[in-house]
Amino acid sequence: MSMSNKRKRKDFVLQAITYAASLIGVFILSLIIIFIFKNGVGLINWDLVTNDYHAQYYNGGINEIEIFSKTVKPSELSESDFYSNKWGLALTDDINREGRAIVVVSYLANDSPLHDMYDKNDLENNTFALEIGNIVSSIKFENKESALSVYGAEKMINALENETEFREIVFSSLGGGIRGSLITTLYTIFFTLIFALPTGVCSALYLTEFAKNNQFTRIIRGMIDMLTGVPSIIFGLMGLAVFVPLTIRYTPASGANILSGSLTLAVILLPIIIRSTEESLKIVPDEYRFASLALGANKTQTTFRVVLPSALPGILTATLLAIGRVIGESAALIFAIGTAVKDEISIFGKSTTLAVHIWSLMTDEPANIELASTISIIILIIVLVLNLLVKLLSKAYLRNA
Amino acid sequence: MVNNIFTISNLNLEYGSFQALKQISLNIENKKVTALIGPSGCGKTSFLRCLNRMNDLISDCKVSGDVLYHEENIYGKNYNVISLRTKVGMVFQKPNPFPMSIYENIAYGPKCQGLKNKNELNRIVEMSLKKSALWEEVKDRLKNSALSLSGGQQQRLCIARAIAMEPEVILMDEPTSALDPIATLKIEQLINDLKENYAIVIVTHSMQQAARISDNTAFFLMGELVEYDETDIIFSTPSNSKTEEYITGRFG
Repeated sequence: MSMSNKRKRKDFVLQAITYAASLIGVFILSLIIIFIFKNGVGLINWDLVTNDYHAQYYNGGINEIEIFSKTVKPSELSESDFYSNKWGLALTDDINREGRAIVVVSYLANDSPLHDMYDKNDLENNTFALEIGNIVSSIKFENKESALSVYGAEKMINALENETEFREIVFSSLGGGIRGSLITTLYTIFFTLIFALPTGVCSALYLTEFAKNNQFTRIIRGMIDMLTGVPSIIFGLMGLAVFVPLTIRYTPASGANILSGSLTLAVILLPIIIRSTEESLKIVPDEYRFASLALGANKTQTTFRVVLPSALPGILTATLLAIGRVIGESAALIFAIGTAVKDEISIFGKSTTLAVHIWSLMTDEPANIELASTISIIILIIVLVLNLLVKLLSKAYLRNA
Repeated sequence: MVNNIFTISNLNLEYGSFQALKQISLNIENKKVTALIGPSGCGKTSFLRCLNRMNDLISDCKVSGDVLYHEENIYGKNYNVISLRTKVGMVFQKPNPFPMSIYENIAYGPKCQGLKNKNELNRIVEMSLKKSALWEEVKDRLKNSALSLSGGQQQRLCIARAIAMEPEVILMDEPTSALDPIATLKIEQLINDLKENYAIVIVTHSMQQAARISDNTAFFLMGELVEYDETDIIFSTPSNSKTEEYITGRFG
């Protein structure tokens, strides 16, 4: 009886240890997600994804005004929107993505004379316009002190309301958006997969289906395994030493670019793709191979028409892992693609992926944890969507098979 | 005049140092069912796999002796194994349809031989399914996955897949061992119908099955051919005492 109790206690302790160990993983994952969401969820909105990172500054001038606005303050505006009747303009205080106080245009009446402003820097600019969401940094007058945004929206609107003319309004777009980095990331995923998938899958096919199991293939396998363990920063150096000069030589590129970054990532991904494709080829039942060969198909037909399609769900999963790695990789890309956050993206130009964008935000002084966390949320969402997509694809594929 | 499609003489087969077949000599008649019986490990499956050279796929397997198919040694130099396998089809122990549609499973073999004509492929699929008595059950769902069929249907699909190549011989390696009695019965009826057009060589563990469906029976023991004769003779008046002991269930 006591033996059995002792044994029960022992079983309980052992089971408790396994539960606790798995809970640690869940705990850490939740901590990360809580941290990211707590810091980043405030900034997340659609504008962040579509806006440029670098704000565009404009100097708006105006000719003599004959008719002022007759619009009264609309009821949908709140207490914190300060409104000028004469100019048909409402300003409000806000905080930008870097955490600094700003003054934002929250309303512009249809009959506002500000619609007649012209671009003082480029008189030919026809698309020039003050828009809701623009940031007003200062209003300069001819014969009195400028109204600066640091004193708040209320003072600015009062200064404007008392005047019938001004020298210029300095305003800018919001900035801090991640559109450029997002596009770079998508480009990088695309090109990396174009380079790495065919090469990786074909190598795996060679190793599992065609090559004899001899010393040579064992050496190749060993090297592939070793590649998996090489830190990515070393691949980054290789990218800088090999792929950057190569792309400079054969493309219009003049420095690190999306192509050199993708090639570097492709090298990082090769061992991952080869190994996981090999695993999915190995679990294809030999019965399929025998059946195909017994029907008079040759080795190549058997491999490409029966074995490869059967391994496709596994290869899809490998692709997903690879994409996850592309999105998350930063160390190698600092060298191979650059850290310059850009809005105009060219595959031969410098730009940066979301992960490196996080890196450059965190190396800024002061570090912008909020925006970094927001980008992390977006990365998590992309990975999640891809994950679901791959699951759906392989499910649909298996149903049709 | 006996019409032999295979003439085998002094066939030896070794897996590494283990000799699985010893000096086998026998003739396989065209348009007859030949059953290979014997206890597990006696070499009957190894023998079957010699007839379409599937043993080539096993790395340390050595074959010597002559296997004449239409008077030509299939183990001779420069013999075209691919064309041999299109003429000598095979059905495996476990149903193994490809993870494709029913249609694609049957069209696979002809397509691998370079046949692209849609109408011709349709004709072959219909002919094969009709010959394997599966047409009525699947004609409305040819695009469905072959894996959605029952085990017995899958095995008949595998037979249809072999028939699609329009072979002369069909090798069957315990085709009913993974099936229930009703599915087994259907396959046996099918074999009976098929022998009008094809030579069938079947490995079976069931003595009753051998007695029911075969014309000739070969009894293997420890890699040797003990006795080979017409099935009626083997099961009524075997000349070797080992054969009698095996078929009466005293060992094996």
